[in-house]
Amino acid sequence: MPEETYDETVVSTTVNGRRIKKRVENRLTLAEFLREKEGLRGTKVSCESQVCGACTVLVDDRPVSSCTVLAVEADEAEVTTIEGLETEAGLDPVQAAFADCTALQCGYCTPGFIMSTKALLATNPSPTREEIEHELEGNLCRCTGYLPIIEAVEQAAARLAGTYDPDAAHRPYAGHLKEDGEPFRYVGRSIERVDAGVKVTGRARYAIDTPFPDTTHAVAVRSDRAHATILGIDVKVALDVPGVVAVVTAEDLDGLYPRFGHMVPDHAIIAAGKVRYYGEPVALVVAETRHIARDAARLVEVRYEDLPAAMDAEAALAPAAPVIHEDAYSGEAVNQVAITRTEDEPNVANTMHLGWGDVDAAFAEADLVVETETFHPALYAYAMEPYNSSARFADGYLEVTSTAQHPFMVIKDLARVFDLPHSKVRVSVPYIGGGYGSKSYTKIEPLTAVAAWVTQRAVKLDLSIEESIYTTRADAARTRVRSAFRKDGRLLARDVDIVMDTGAYVDNSATVLSKAVARCFGPYSIPSLRVRGRLVYTNTVPASSYRALGAFQVNLAAETNMDQAAEQLGIDAADLRRINLVPRGERFIEGKRPMDTDLVDDFDQMMARVRVEPREGVLQAVGFGVGANEGGAYPTSTAQVKMSPDGSALVLSGSTEMGQGSRSILTQIAAEELGLDIAKVRVFQSDSAGTSFERTTGGSRTTTMTGLSVQRACRDIVQQLLAMAATVWECPVDDVRHVGDRIVHADGRSEEFGPLIKKWYGGGGGEITGRGTVRREGELQVQPSFWEIGMVAVAVDIDPETGVTKVDQLVTMADVGFAINPMGVEGQDVGAALQGIGGGLSEELVYEGAQLRNPNLVEYRVPHIGDAPRRWDSVIVERRDGTGPYGAKGGGEGARIPMGGAIASAVARATGVWPTELPLTPERVWRLIQEGEAARAEAAGGSAPEAD
Amino acid sequence: MIPLLPTFRLSRPATLPEAFDLLADDGIAYVGGTELVAAMQLGLVSPAHLVDLKRIPALGGIRLEGEVLVIGSAVRHVEVADSELVRRSAPILARACAELGNARVRATGTVGGNLCFADPRSDVATALFALGARVRLRSADGERVLPIDEFVLGAMDVDLDEGELLDSVLVPVTVAPQVYLRHQPTEYPTIAVALVSDPEGLRVTVGAVGEIPQRFAAPSLDELDVEAILPELEVIEDLNGSESYKRHLVGVFVRRAAAELKESNDA
Repeated sequence: MPEETYDETVVSTTVNGRRIKKRVENRLTLAEFLREKEGLRGTKVSCESQVCGACTVLVDDRPVSSCTVLAVEADEAEVTTIEGLETEAGLDPVQAAFADCTALQCGYCTPGFIMSTKALLATNPSPTREEIEHELEGNLCRCTGYLPIIEAVEQAAARLAGTYDPDAAHRPYAGHLKEDGEPFRYVGRSIERVDAGVKVTGRARYAIDTPFPDTTHAVAVRSDRAHATILGIDVKVALDVPGVVAVVTAEDLDGLYPRFGHMVPDHAIIAAGKVRYYGEPVALVVAETRHIARDAARLVEVRYEDLPAAMDAEAALAPAAPVIHEDAYSGEAVNQVAITRTEDEPNVANTMHLGWGDVDAAFAEADLVVETETFHPALYAYAMEPYNSSARFADGYLEVTSTAQHPFMVIKDLARVFDLPHSKVRVSVPYIGGGYGSKSYTKIEPLTAVAAWVTQRAVKLDLSIEESIYTTRADAARTRVRSAFRKDGRLLARDVDIVMDTGAYVDNSATVLSKAVARCFGPYSIPSLRVRGRLVYTNTVPASSYRALGAFQVNLAAETNMDQAAEQLGIDAADLRRINLVPRGERFIEGKRPMDTDLVDDFDQMMARVRVEPREGVLQAVGFGVGANEGGAYPTSTAQVKMSPDGSALVLSGSTEMGQGSRSILTQIAAEELGLDIAKVRVFQSDSAGTSFERTTGGSRTTTMTGLSVQRACRDIVQQLLAMAATVWECPVDDVRHVGDRIVHADGRSEEFGPLIKKWYGGGGGEITGRGTVRREGELQVQPSFWEIGMVAVAVDIDPETGVTKVDQLVTMADVGFAINPMGVEGQDVGAALQGIGGGLSEELVYEGAQLRNPNLVEYRVPHIGDAPRRWDSVIVERRDGTGPYGAKGGGEGARIPMGGAIASAVARATGVWPTELPLTPERVWRLIQEGEAARAEAAGGSAPEAD
Repeated sequence: MIPLLPTFRLSRPATLPEAFDLLADDGIAYVGGTELVAAMQLGLVSPAHLVDLKRIPALGGIRLEGEVLVIGSAVRHVEVADSELVRRSAPILARACAELGNARVRATGTVGGNLCFADPRSDVATALFALGARVRLRSADGERVLPIDEFVLGAMDVDLDEGELLDSVLVPVTVAPQVYLRHQPTEYPTIAVALVSDPEGLRVTVGAVGEIPQRFAAPSLDELDVEAILPELEVIEDLNGSESYKRHLVGVFVRRAAAELKESNDA
């Protein structure tokens, strides 16, 4: 062993029982050492600020944040990582419990949670819920809503104590029957996720874990101005750093199409001429290691001349506002939404209108007019795997690995940049560590790809969480709703104005706005409607999709408006919903699918469960809300199913698995359709060179749209097998049938699929391929493909002295037609609800001058385990009335829609004052309480009453 | 924006004299690293030379020296929280160390590192101010002992000379009734309140709202006038609250702590 140098230390350690002795750079963190030097990529890195716990490993049985602990701390110590838990006897009890309880979705936090649970149970073998919350407070999960994790920890404790009952089913089969009167074998059942095994053992591979061989690493130089002209970029000093391969600036993109954007191609790959927000990439340093690239990036000097900046929509709409985009990019868009730009409002990227009836007349004859104005702040979706991507050019092909939800959409942007045919751009997406819409459409793939083009090397670009926050956020929105009511509670008209802040670039915000415009008034029957929505450029982080896009921002105003109206009409707020909810079969938006479910019945089932559990010394109230999303996005999907000569099936789908459970659902559908044991089915997803086209993975569409294409591909396989049997048996095809995993002849002969394929081909057999296609036709002609219903009810507790607000009870209502995996449905619902609770109570991106005040997980507060509701009631409604397989409809976003409004209404009922903005932080709620007390005191004409 | 560490030298002395030599060679003290490494990752500091003090036995351990509880500066929070000795003779310090940060920070961070970093929201500092602790500092030239409030001077500011290190904290053993309450709806405490009631009177310590913990006195628990304290407080505004809200909260939590103390007295 060479002598130690100043920069390195010899480390003797034991990792998962294996002795290691090697020189280690002092500056290496334990996570970098484990992941990059030892190839133990099960340990994940996310927040990089000791908040999230994804990187938790055990050092001498103590839990540590391996992203902040130096690798040298492993010296003379024993390190245990997620890879070290499984033994020859199988999974560790903690791993088994997490798999069994579906205590994971995207799986990115799972290794950290499991290691933290190991540490917890080692010192406290039977923790209470409070103790679990205390010890796991430092582990974040953005998918599950934590409640399944708490259940898993309790189950793990029981397994270790020998008191676990494996026969206790989580959710019994609902008893659905097939057309032949038999129960389904695989669908409608709460199976363990097919990816649970790889996710609890750390074997699941994400984009961040899969660099191309011999890759370089890139680090972006980012703007430190909100709006400025770039006078010059001095790259020489950085270029001279040993190990630096290139410093890429906009000048290097000569000959390329230098922008991207699927709706408006306004997004500079690298800022050219000027920067439009703090954090925008100005140059990209490419080097042999990420450390070198980072060090050299600090040596790139950019000279700017500041321009006036518009930091919010109001400033951008002001008469003398600085113009953020001089170009209208007209004629280049590939969008579905008509973009309108006007001279007199140059920062308005798009204006949309929706309406019918005589709104002014309706308001004139109304018994009551109620107006509500709210502001919904910008949010960060916090998918735990930060944006990252790898790119390389090989023989004229571009290959990209990334965290993209929609690989086929990314191809369109990349093909335009390099003027390549789509067939020569390959985008593959391994497991995604959370998406929630924030990874839809193109993000950093063009930046990575141009670096690969300039350097002709493989390039990997891994963003930090701070950089991810400076890449995409959710739109902020100011919404004004005026509603006209008859005194019996009937809505006569609504008049809505929406101003949405899209930041520096449009990204998918034109869709966000179009959704907001369609989701700001219903699902109510409204005779007269007028909605105007404007999308405004500002000098802030570009905004785009986030779970229930557009809907949650405007639902806050729309639903608190209903509650305020109920108060003024003297009608119970729940009854006001019942009066106005659109009945099944009624078309509440012209040209759209009539309501495809029984909303009042759904609503009643939910309301029957919500109740305040009285407690002394707290303000308590119930809140609830309703919304509806157009589900399914555009109905284009394709799938292939390949059956091998051993009779096993490989499903090829371009949809992505980002935690929502699509791989399990598609596996269940294929196993059910083919009659195959689930172990014989594999679903392979999201590689444009290997899987078939999928439009997108968003809009809660995969179960229905991809589910249909997979179902059709399986049925195509069955038809082929029937024809093959008829050929082999030399009989009419009418004589053969598909029964279970065999083809059966009327005379009793039968054959399994594998041998049949072999006999038909001869010579050892071949493969057959089934194809399934979904397009806008038949049942799907009328859009949306289904209505995704969003209904939640909450009971909140408020500490009257501090304003701290806690959701004590959560009731979710999933109207999914047919729950193919009921535990998956519940996981999606509670996960969406908890994101809504975050938006309702604590989450908000705050600008201070040019930059964000809280671009990190220390100060941007997402829900922690202690913020999970104490009680959760889950309602799943299955009327088999959806357009998806077996009558399924999509889910996963609904619960996100009305959560902010539901919490706001509960707080209003408890304090007597209507909030006008989210989040309802402790201080805001405390101020509402003060305001309410003051108002009541004034009304009583006396001094302020004692707080009760 | 990217939390990668710059290059640095690392020394791991086994004795104090070695440590002093290394500190004199451009070194800065490094123990748990939960604060220092994080600050280095953020680019706030870039020391050329870290001197790891964890391998010096003299800086470890929790022991009684007469009527004084001595806690080595390299002792980790979790050790303090789990120590029967601390739980018995300085319960609010054990409580503070059991609740601060998260499980990993408690298992990695040290009392000394926490104090020397002097984050205004330090629970350790609040508890030690409340207990009237002292610190023992050592250098090649000898040692000095300072009251905690003469050591922690401001946000990220301690009275530590070049070449000097924090050896231990000295906590007077007490059986005085005491209470520690934290209010933490976000990642760091918004407020921490410690009350210690001994024969000389009631000591009220308010942490996390100002640059350093602030102490107030009352003749006794029954004579505590919370309203008199509030105007005296120095309050820093941040995303957790405005100045007026935080001042209000201090009143709430001092009252709650007083009620808890009264309850434990009556029990």
